[in-house]
Amino acid sequence: MHGPEIQWYVVLSGMLFATGALGVMLRRNPLIILLSVEIMLNSANLLLIAMSRLRGGEDGQIFAISVMAVAASEVVVGLGLIVAMGRRNVELDVDKLRTLRG
Amino acid sequence: MATASWVCLLLPLASAIAITAAGTAIPRRIAAYVSTLTTMGAFVAAIVAFADMAGKSAPHRGAATTSWTWLSAGPYHFGLTLLTDQLSIVMMLIVTGVGSLIVAYSVGYMDGEDEERRFFAYMSLFVFSMLLLVQGGNLLLLLAGWGMVGLSSYLLIGYYQERESAIKAAKKAFVMNAFGDATMALALFLLIQHTGKLDYAGVFAGSPHGGAVANLIALGLLGGAVAKSAQIPLHTWLPDAMEGPTPVSALIHAATMVTAGVYLIVRCHPLFENAYVIADLAAGLGAATLLMAGLIALVQTDIKRVIAYSTMSQIGYMFVGAGLGAYPNAMFHLMTHAFFKGLLFLAAGIAIHAVVGEQDIRKLAGVGKLMPFTKWVFLAGSLALVGIFPFAGFFSKDAIIAAALDRGWYGDVIYAACLAGAFLTGIYAFRLFFIVFTGEPSAFAREHFHAHHGQEGPISMLWTVGALGVLSVVGGLLQFAPIWHPLTTWLDPVDHPIAEATSTQEWVTSALAILIGLAGIGVAWTMYGAKRIKVPRAVPLFEKKFYWDELYDVIWYRMGDLVARGFYALVEAPLIGGSIAAVTGVVGLGSRELSVAQNGLVRSYVLALAGGLAVLTVVFLAVR
Amino acid sequence: MMSTALIAIPVLGALLIAIAPLSSYWLGSLAALISLVEVGVWITAAARFDFSSSALQLDQRASWFSDLQVSWHVGQYRFSLWFVGMTVVVMAACTIYGWWVGRDRARAYFALMLLLTGAIVGVFTAQDLLLFYAFFEAMLIPLYILIGVWGGSDRMKATITLVVYTVVGSLLMLAAIIVFGLQQGTFDMTRMGTSSSQWLFLGFVVAFAIKSPLFPLHGWLPVTYRESPPEVSAVLSGIVGKAGLYGLLRIAIPFFPQPVHDWRVVILVLASISLVYGSLLAFRAPDFRGVVMYSSLAQAGLIVLGLFAGNTLGFDGAVLQIVNHALVSSLLFLIAGMVERRTGTRGEFSLLGGMARGRPALATVIMVVGVISLAVPLSTTFAGEFLILAGVFQQGWLWAVIGAAAMVLAAMYMLRAISAVLHQDVGSAVSEDALDLRVGELAIVVPLVVCLIGLSAWPNLISSRASSSAPTGFTQYAP
Repeated sequence: MHGPEIQWYVVLSGMLFATGALGVMLRRNPLIILLSVEIMLNSANLLLIAMSRLRGGEDGQIFAISVMAVAASEVVVGLGLIVAMGRRNVELDVDKLRTLRG
Repeated sequence: MATASWVCLLLPLASAIAITAAGTAIPRRIAAYVSTLTTMGAFVAAIVAFADMAGKSAPHRGAATTSWTWLSAGPYHFGLTLLTDQLSIVMMLIVTGVGSLIVAYSVGYMDGEDEERRFFAYMSLFVFSMLLLVQGGNLLLLLAGWGMVGLSSYLLIGYYQERESAIKAAKKAFVMNAFGDATMALALFLLIQHTGKLDYAGVFAGSPHGGAVANLIALGLLGGAVAKSAQIPLHTWLPDAMEGPTPVSALIHAATMVTAGVYLIVRCHPLFENAYVIADLAAGLGAATLLMAGLIALVQTDIKRVIAYSTMSQIGYMFVGAGLGAYPNAMFHLMTHAFFKGLLFLAAGIAIHAVVGEQDIRKLAGVGKLMPFTKWVFLAGSLALVGIFPFAGFFSKDAIIAAALDRGWYGDVIYAACLAGAFLTGIYAFRLFFIVFTGEPSAFAREHFHAHHGQEGPISMLWTVGALGVLSVVGGLLQFAPIWHPLTTWLDPVDHPIAEATSTQEWVTSALAILIGLAGIGVAWTMYGAKRIKVPRAVPLFEKKFYWDELYDVIWYRMGDLVARGFYALVEAPLIGGSIAAVTGVVGLGSRELSVAQNGLVRSYVLALAGGLAVLTVVFLAVR
Repeated sequence: MMSTALIAIPVLGALLIAIAPLSSYWLGSLAALISLVEVGVWITAAARFDFSSSALQLDQRASWFSDLQVSWHVGQYRFSLWFVGMTVVVMAACTIYGWWVGRDRARAYFALMLLLTGAIVGVFTAQDLLLFYAFFEAMLIPLYILIGVWGGSDRMKATITLVVYTVVGSLLMLAAIIVFGLQQGTFDMTRMGTSSSQWLFLGFVVAFAIKSPLFPLHGWLPVTYRESPPEVSAVLSGIVGKAGLYGLLRIAIPFFPQPVHDWRVVILVLASISLVYGSLLAFRAPDFRGVVMYSSLAQAGLIVLGLFAGNTLGFDGAVLQIVNHALVSSLLFLIAGMVERRTGTRGEFSLLGGMARGRPALATVIMVVGVISLAVPLSTTFAGEFLILAGVFQQGWLWAVIGAAAMVLAAMYMLRAISAVLHQDVGSAVSEDALDLRVGELAIVVPLVVCLIGLSAWPNLISSRASSSAPTGFTQYAP
């Protein structure tokens, strides 16, 4: 196999995932949270493809394509919601958006 | 003979069902005639059965026929069996004979009442129940008849259903009798456990001789007998039962139902002979009752209540006879008592009927002058009651008293009590006669007296009373123990007496009894007839009927009420209200606590997710 | 086919009523017709039944989950035949009562009544534990809706109470069923052996004790019975309660002989308490329905006394008394409904009285049913009670003494109730317009009364060999 050893990919994927997770937990703007979720998804994609390359099957790559499709759909919905909220001058802060409480 | 017995039993039942089912479609008179004719038909059937039986020789006279198995469970079978033997035929004849006279009397007495049909349906039901009781071939059917006569009594006492006093009296009678039913049922359970059967032959053969079980069985049966026959301590329902119409008092509470207890003891005499302590107890209770009732009767002012206490007293005599083992004597007195007590009630009924239903003897005073026929029959009945030769009571009562001498010191005590009772009988019976039927009519009587078409009462009332009068005079001639005793001989195969007086004792007792009775009459005459002595003020103890009613009210009714109220407040309310409130409370509390986690903050949900993920990762890595 | 037909006919009838485009009067008559057809089918089944055999008859079996050995297995023993009979007769009377009275939303009402019929028949004929459970739960749904829609003012509380109590018991029973079935390897009651587990036994007993009901699990009784429509109370007390007793008889006792022996005294104590407690409370109840409901509690206690007496006397008496009480208590509730309708009250004694004047039919019916209910000797209820007490006497004299005392209490409370309605002064709610029983009402009431009187003449019809007609292991109670 050419290129860097597998551990580099795993570490990069982990760092990307951690970054994304921290972003989801610590940021208040829903747009940034959505961005962070995308980063997490991409980190998973990276790991899937790297492992698929390592083991030689194509299952991981196919799975990565499904993930991309799902990510795209979800961004559409999420972005649409956020833009709509912005248009109505709703304050874009998840700590303030808590109507759905039990 | 078997067919005749079944016809005798079922005719009154058919009448009761027919009258009830016809409802308002038939006129009142028809209901009355149906009831009367079926009871007379039952009497005819009883005579046919008797004739058939008399034609057979003594050992073969009894016969039991079973129609079908009424109830069974595993190895136990109880059939619908009728037993027609010497004892039951005597009872059948008395019940249907005196019964038809009394039902015929009520045709006139109840005429015009609002709901006569109901009355006659109930009367027929009663006759059926009483016949079931005496003809039942096993103890279960006896208990069935026992309960049904209690039911008929309830229905008839409470006939005037708008009157609160009548309804209360009816309920009291039923509940006291239900108590007796319960003790009898317990005795039957013991018998089932020890003998596995309830038919008479099986029970008498298999029951234990002596010992605690035999005593308990006899005690249970005695409990039922005491309740039904209104002896101490279950006697308080009888005076209140006078709320019913007079024919009811005559038939049920004098002639037949209340004597069922005596029949029970005589029928089940082997069980009582196995438990002589209980039999002696029965005799003792009878003696105590006859004295107490006699004392109370001295001060009663309601004509029917005097006669009711007199009934209680006379049944005491029968209990003495049955308890001591002089069975034929007890049965003989049962028969003559049916005649003269029925007569007394019905004659009193003529007077009551004629004076707008008034029952107070002070208001009825002197009405005998306006009603000579009634006066003479009442006199005949009173003489029979006191036991003056040659009236019926003389022959039967004295036989019982004399038989008491056959039982050692205990019998002697009872002997003295019975003679004292005879004295009291003389006084109260003739107190009643002298006040109501002699002397000048009171203002009330004169004003409210209504002759019925020129006669003292409707024809149906007069001829039936006359018939009973004749029977009270000659009925006693059936048996005079020292000289001739066909009844004892007839009953001997079924009820061999274990207490019999010698001829000398009989003659001496009869003489003593007549003298004492005459002395009582004399006392009554001086106080009420000739009014020579001022009547002493009534003792409150007697007037309050020895405070039994108050005692029972406190023990049973108030206690029961208190306990029930306590249960309601302490158990039911916390239990029902409590349980559901507890459940909903717990669920609500839990859900309120858990909903704190749903705070709507996205970041807290994310934190929870991340935390959970971390835990799972650790677990997977550790478990691996 | 018979047993399945008995279940299927009312269910299909309910579907038919749900879709038929008829007016409410005709819907009611269709429902009445279907329930009468059901009675007719039962009579045919009874005619085909071999009363001398003690085996399961008229049975069908079709496999459902074969790997767990669960099947559609329905059939009838001798005693189940009588239980099914009492169910269809009482349900017919109650359906016709609903038609006579006129319920709004008739379509839903009659469909539910017929569904209820099918479910209850299913309970009595199911011979597979899961099937039994399914029908047991299925009884609850129509009841919930019937009470919740057509009930009195406090009906919501009544429905919640009923559902919570029943479901708690049912869940315990479900757990016990699953464990027991998996242990035995089959859920078919006719092929299962016995177990000596106390927990399984208690799981079943608690569920059935809630249903019967027995002290102290009777908390749902007062509010539910008072708030239901009268015919639903009749069904609840007369039949649904008996389903609980049937469960004890068919499942709890035969499959757990050792726990029965261990818990016998406790259960007899609870049954005696039910008997006395129910009688005393009935004596103080301020309304007619109160008297009847507490009397139901007392009678359930009496029947349990008979079931746990451990001998044929008690058992046969209990079977007889189950049928008797179904007829008696449903009659009493229907009569309560008729009285309530006439007087516009809820049956409170303080407002009633003197109804016997000018109403001979009503007075006769109330009197006859009342005295049969208090077990006057010669009645069929007396026969049942006598057998039960004779049987339990052999287990211990104290139980029979308590039972005999309860006989006296029964006389007291029932006579009080009868007099409060019929006798003495005319009550403030009773007007001249309150009519006597009409032909329609007599048509509902008289057949049930005739059944009772017929049974009084021949109680042996039901009591003889009731215990020997049970599945094996029944008559071998541990003493």
